[in-house]
Amino acid sequence: MNASAVVFYILSAFILATGLLAVTSRKIFRTAIWLLFSLTGVAGLYFWLGMQFIAAVQVVVYVGGIVVLIIFSIFLTQQSGKDLPSPLRRRTVFSALAACIGFALTCLLLSRYSSFRVKESDYDFAPDMSISAIGNQLLSTSEHGYVLPFEVISILLLAAMIGCIVIAMKSKPGDK
Amino acid sequence: MLSIENITHSIDVWLYGTFNPTAALLLESLIVGLCAITLFAVLGLVLVLMERKVSAYMQIRLGPNRVGPGGALQTVADTLKLAMKEGLTPDGADKFLFNLAPFMVIVVAMLILVPVAFAKGTQIWDINIGVLYISAVSSLSVIGILMAGWASNNKYSLLGAMRSGAQIVSYELSAGLSIISIVTLTGSLRISDIIDSQQDGWWLFKGHIPAMISFVIFIIAVTAETNRAPFDLAEAESELTAGFHTEYSGMKFALFFLAEYVNIFIVCAIAATLFLGGWMPLHIGHWTAFNHAMDYIPSSLWFIGKTFFLIFVIMWFRWTFPRLRIDQLLSLEWKYLLPLSLFNLLLMTLISIKGWHF
Amino acid sequence: MPSNESHSTLLWPLLLYTILVVILLAAILALSYLLGQRHDDRATGKPYEGGIEQTGAARLRFSAKFYLVAMLFVIFDVEAVFIMLWALGFYALGWRGYLGVLVFIGQLLVVLVYEWGIGALSIGADAKKILKEYKKIKLNSDEMVAKQPW
Repeated sequence: MNASAVVFYILSAFILATGLLAVTSRKIFRTAIWLLFSLTGVAGLYFWLGMQFIAAVQVVVYVGGIVVLIIFSIFLTQQSGKDLPSPLRRRTVFSALAACIGFALTCLLLSRYSSFRVKESDYDFAPDMSISAIGNQLLSTSEHGYVLPFEVISILLLAAMIGCIVIAMKSKPGDK
Repeated sequence: MLSIENITHSIDVWLYGTFNPTAALLLESLIVGLCAITLFAVLGLVLVLMERKVSAYMQIRLGPNRVGPGGALQTVADTLKLAMKEGLTPDGADKFLFNLAPFMVIVVAMLILVPVAFAKGTQIWDINIGVLYISAVSSLSVIGILMAGWASNNKYSLLGAMRSGAQIVSYELSAGLSIISIVTLTGSLRISDIIDSQQDGWWLFKGHIPAMISFVIFIIAVTAETNRAPFDLAEAESELTAGFHTEYSGMKFALFFLAEYVNIFIVCAIAATLFLGGWMPLHIGHWTAFNHAMDYIPSSLWFIGKTFFLIFVIMWFRWTFPRLRIDQLLSLEWKYLLPLSLFNLLLMTLISIKGWHF
Repeated sequence: MPSNESHSTLLWPLLLYTILVVILLAAILALSYLLGQRHDDRATGKPYEGGIEQTGAARLRFSAKFYLVAMLFVIFDVEAVFIMLWALGFYALGWRGYLGVLVFIGQLLVVLVYEWGIGALSIGADAKKILKEYKKIKLNSDEMVAKQPW
């Protein structure tokens, strides 16, 4: 095991530990912060794999965007300062069970397709080229281009914008 | 000629010649890290002093003038004082998050520094996603501020943090879009490529009107992002005591303060890099003689000069414009700056497709 | 994980730098904790609220308008990422790519204008509207005063 692998395992352990803390913490704001660390760890993992662009997008969208959104919505709740009530025993058991089954399924899939490996040749491209290659592919109108999904994304974002106005504007008149 | 590039290069050669590669890498990282941290501390001290002196002269008074020659050591004395103070934690605060927040803000500020080019060939790490890395990492600092405000168990802090959060996330968009409009001209996110592309003139002049518009938008947006006046309503002294860091004292307060000034330095350095050519001397097209004459001024001086000029401009704003209200601030961004920067981006790309830029 | 060391060597300096920064800052905080004074008076731990006792919980509820700002931010953030991808490759894409992005940005601008129109973007109280209402009331009361026989 070389040093690079050690870093990989440390990062993975960090992601798992903070993820576990995020789901078990009783304080709602701390949950958001643990989630933040978990997502940052994922970005670090992408970084370590040499996928700088994906890592930066992970940070921009998930850490800088989604977590801020979550924190803002925590500020909207009435009792963000108090501890959450501990969940029902039944629910804990079932969620633990669901997590175990999910883990087992992943292991099963990995063992079945153990021949699936990233070849060195897949890996050897200049990262600079890859970013503009993504851009080219995204907007190219040729057979393998993704211009239609690209435009559909903008419609999806449009729908999201309308949706968030509907939620946020639905306040009682005179309620400030 | 003695330049920073030569010095770093000779240190690099010496290290790799003397030690094996792993040890050399470790030592080099250590030296770079120590240099960066020293730079940080010095920057913080210099900028706080500069702020006080600039405000003093704008108000026709002297400013700090007792400690050291002309008050030059005032901030050093202040820092020592802060280090000896008690770090209070208010009752009912979330202790863990309360202590984590200043730490996170300052670590993020130091990590943004990584791809900034200080002089020709002097960069901690020339990452291929340069400006995207900067905008990605800087989006983390808002979480530190929200954390500080929430954990303090203080109404002023929470109000300040909320204002600050809404403000930073809004203006991040305009700043990002202005960065993208320069990226369309260079076709690369790498800082060194962006600087090299300005060899025959800075983008501010080469990019016609759209570049100037995005420069203005960028300066407005970063002034807001760093919570500077006239957008300083997050820590408006007259209404919120000190905003999100009301409850912080001692070294934790000092770290927030340092992070604020380092962030100002970084955004000005980025503005200088994108629009004013970073360390690139003032070159005009094919005037070879003029360009050669300009090359005699060291690149580090160019970079420092441009950056400090922009910092001065931002300090100037503070004593020129009155503070905005939160609703005015948000409508300025969402109603005017954001549509304007989107239009400007389209205009910029139109110009570069047609090849109208120089 | 990457097995070739060549590109990892690019990442090692950043990792080491990060670790160094974290350690040094922790050391600074620990040092100030050791050097700092300790007090335990009656009001040492009280949160500051203008010098009076704190009233009510400090964790206030905020207006949903702030949520709208965060939501719009996420949407435009995602959009900016896509635009950045196009910006890097747009010389190769030419007019076709330009048209594609024109449609993309255009749709979002239209919604932004629509939101402006229905007043979703005016966060606080509309000062002009308040002033108009005020003037109306004042005008009415003035008329009332004028109508009075005395």
